[in-house]
Amino acid sequence: MTMPASAESIPVGTLCRRCVLPHAPPDIWLDAEGICNICHNYDREVATAPKDERGLLETDFLKILDKHRGKHEYDCLCMLSGGKDSTAALYYVKERYKLNPLVFTFNHGFVPDEHLESARRTVKKLGVDWIYFHTPFMKDMFRKIVQTKSKVVICPVCSLWYMLKTYEIAAMFDVPIIVSGWTKGQTTGGSRSVLSKCACDQNPDEFRAMSQATREFMDKHVRTDPKYKDFPRNMDEVLKIAKKKYKSKAIVLSPHWFVPGGPEEYVPIIKEKLGWDYPARSYPKKSTNCDLNFLATKRAIRDYGYSVYHIEMANLIRMGLITREEALALLETDFDPAILDDIYSKLGTPSESLA
Amino acid sequence: MIVLGISCYYHDGSAAIIRDGEIVAAAQEERFDREKYSPAFPIQAINFCLQQAGVTIYDVDEVAFYEKMYLKFERTIISHLIGWPFTFRNFLDTMPLWLKDRLAVSFAVEDELSFKKPVRYIKHHLSHAASAFLVSPFEEAAIMTVDGVGEYACATWGSGHGTRIDIRQEMHYPHSLGLLYSIFTAFLGFRVFTGEGKVMALAEFGEPDYLDKFRQIIDLRPDGSFRLDTRYFSFNKGETMHNKRFEELFGPPRPPGPDFTDRHYAIAASLQRMTEEIVLTMARHVHEQTGLNKLCLAGGVSLNVTANSRIREEGPFDDLFIQPAAGDAGAALGAASYVYHALSGRPRGPVMHSAALGPEYKDRAIEVLLRNSGARYRRLERDELLAETARRIADNQVVGWFQGRSEFGPRALGNRSILANPANPDMKDHLNRVVKHREPFRPFGASVLRERVGDYFEFDGDSPFMLLVARIRPDKLGSIPAVTHVNHTSRIQTVTPEHNGIYYDLIAEYYRQTGMPMVLNTSFNKKEPIVNTPDEALACFNDSGMDCLVMNQFLVERNDR
Ligand SMILES: [Fe+2]
Ligand SMILES: [Zn+2]
Repeated sequence: MTMPASAESIPVGTLCRRCVLPHAPPDIWLDAEGICNICHNYDREVATAPKDERGLLETDFLKILDKHRGKHEYDCLCMLSGGKDSTAALYYVKERYKLNPLVFTFNHGFVPDEHLESARRTVKKLGVDWIYFHTPFMKDMFRKIVQTKSKVVICPVCSLWYMLKTYEIAAMFDVPIIVSGWTKGQTTGGSRSVLSKCACDQNPDEFRAMSQATREFMDKHVRTDPKYKDFPRNMDEVLKIAKKKYKSKAIVLSPHWFVPGGPEEYVPIIKEKLGWDYPARSYPKKSTNCDLNFLATKRAIRDYGYSVYHIEMANLIRMGLITREEALALLETDFDPAILDDIYSKLGTPSESLA
Repeated sequence: MIVLGISCYYHDGSAAIIRDGEIVAAAQEERFDREKYSPAFPIQAINFCLQQAGVTIYDVDEVAFYEKMYLKFERTIISHLIGWPFTFRNFLDTMPLWLKDRLAVSFAVEDELSFKKPVRYIKHHLSHAASAFLVSPFEEAAIMTVDGVGEYACATWGSGHGTRIDIRQEMHYPHSLGLLYSIFTAFLGFRVFTGEGKVMALAEFGEPDYLDKFRQIIDLRPDGSFRLDTRYFSFNKGETMHNKRFEELFGPPRPPGPDFTDRHYAIAASLQRMTEEIVLTMARHVHEQTGLNKLCLAGGVSLNVTANSRIREEGPFDDLFIQPAAGDAGAALGAASYVYHALSGRPRGPVMHSAALGPEYKDRAIEVLLRNSGARYRRLERDELLAETARRIADNQVVGWFQGRSEFGPRALGNRSILANPANPDMKDHLNRVVKHREPFRPFGASVLRERVGDYFEFDGDSPFMLLVARIRPDKLGSIPAVTHVNHTSRIQTVTPEHNGIYYDLIAEYYRQTGMPMVLNTSFNKKEPIVNTPDEALACFNDSGMDCLVMNQFLVERNDR
């Protein structure tokens, strides 16, 4: 679909009446009713899905798990940030699906102690093996992003790095399945196609400008830097390296795609069973993301009018898992600006204007 | 101990789960895959049951499957009900075909469910018997299972004591009531499987003038078994299941369409009367043989409300329990309870007082839906909600009513219902115009306060699952036209505070406001399976002419008015 002429008079930044994405041509635009093209894309996908195609079911997940159960030292590798989604995913894997997981937590230097402490408590309580990986490797890249004034978004770049690391560890320990805590909003909507590929490997309209900036940044600043010359430029390259270099056949799945409901179902469980609680500070509210998200979100909003979290929340709204008002409240960027100064000083760069 | 019961591959696939003696959940696959009477392996219903029980398949101790003998053969019969090229002998030769379905079940259970232990196969009629007796209030009872319309249908009877079930007699194909009903369903121009209920409704408009002719083709014996006179049926060849000789008796078959003559009404009425006579004869025989005073009923014929009521009123039994999911859906529940109680020797569990065993949705999920879809709605306190809803029904509004867990079995019993004013003489047509679109001859049921049922009906006792009819008191005739059948009866559901919760409170409030202790209750759907989720309820509401929709505590108004 292309943008109609009527959309040209709509002020940039006007929010879609249904989701939380702003009018941001040429990728995102509102129609005469004030509904965005991403919402229409979603509706079309739902409407044209084959009639006998059902959503993902928990038994589908178990089918995959049971193909590998007990055949390796570890049944799966769980990525754990200490947040509600990854904590619940690990809890399900261990207690509900009765698997033997290896747990992996990474820290590029910007993960608050509070989150790490939560992860530590969880693995201890569940009695599972844990790899904690702390490295300054990404710091120069993050600094470069700020200094070059590139519009590249930090999170997708960072995810290339940590997904590669995850595959490397999966290969190292011969683990067949990587379990993430990705929510239903971090897929294209519970479609069965997520089973066939890494869910983060997607290129829908709402990511187009961000992907373009990533590509440019990679070519201009990353490949030319000897330190990062082997750094993957996109998720396809990550998968290629994982397959060719690490010989990993691991697939990435999240139990949240297969179980009905959302945080309102699993947060009470991990609170009760693991003593888990929301961290004091993170963006968006009620998440457990690294400190760079404060910066990444402010920059993304400046450069595009929305962040990756707006995209995720918009999906959750369309799936009927959260109201628009709730999403807007969670996405509010009313946090203490001192946090940003703190991050700049950690990166060793002067603050930028994020107005 | 946790037992998962499954029925499928015929029609109305379903799943049920029993944990520590309690039926935790049960649901039909059609409510999830949205295909009416879906015969599919009930993978979505199974996922729901497991999640409702808070377990996964790894926690399940046994999987029980209702075994459907001669399955392939039945499919052949049904698909050839209009053209019937088979011989009974040939059928016996091809019998082992049913094994294929047994294998398919084992395969699906292992492959789709990752359940590695062997499946427990429970005979079909035993599953039906268990679905009624083991969840009934009776420690001891006679049991009759008369299998459903369009089925291979062996009727069986026996007795239950504690957790033991003894089947004493089976009656076999082709001399079966289900098949007889299906032959006439096809003859009267309806579709087998879905048309039987319509034939039952049609029957009320005629006199049983053909009863003698039925007696000519059916030899009913004192034990309720019977023989079809095969000279009237083309068992061997031909385009129809009946033959020339049959048409000499009954006339030509009715072509599909909206036109009926007195002959059609009379044939339907005679068939219905014959059916009632057969089950009544059988009931008397079963009573005589068992000496027991209570009766449990299951199997598709137990959805025949008039036959049930005649057993209740004219039969020799003091008390009656009918499984609400009387058809094959209930067999999943029966197979599970048979494994749990009869085979594993565990004591009887709680009585099945309610069919509300399906999914329920939290206020939050409903409010998120309403808010994001831009619906015009209000959240009301319980008292206000009841008062407002009752007022609107009294005001002749058609109200969508969505509360708590969806019902197991074919009837909506006040959790996924459309409600209306039973006293309005135009309501039946109005309902059909704005939402139901049913044949005008099909009646609507009533939900009535249990303690007030005698005010309007010559009826005393319980009909919790709307599987009985009651004669309207002569002094009340004409006062509830929207739920009155031509023969001055109504199909009724008796409602109690213990088992119906907010639905009881609503009707009590309606009674307080209007002096009428009942509402018209029809299932919440148009042509599709009964709505299951709030999304489906809202879509059905928006897509119909219903006046308002009540979901949990939310009152939803139409956007287009
Ligand atoms: Fe049956
Ligand atoms: Zn939108």
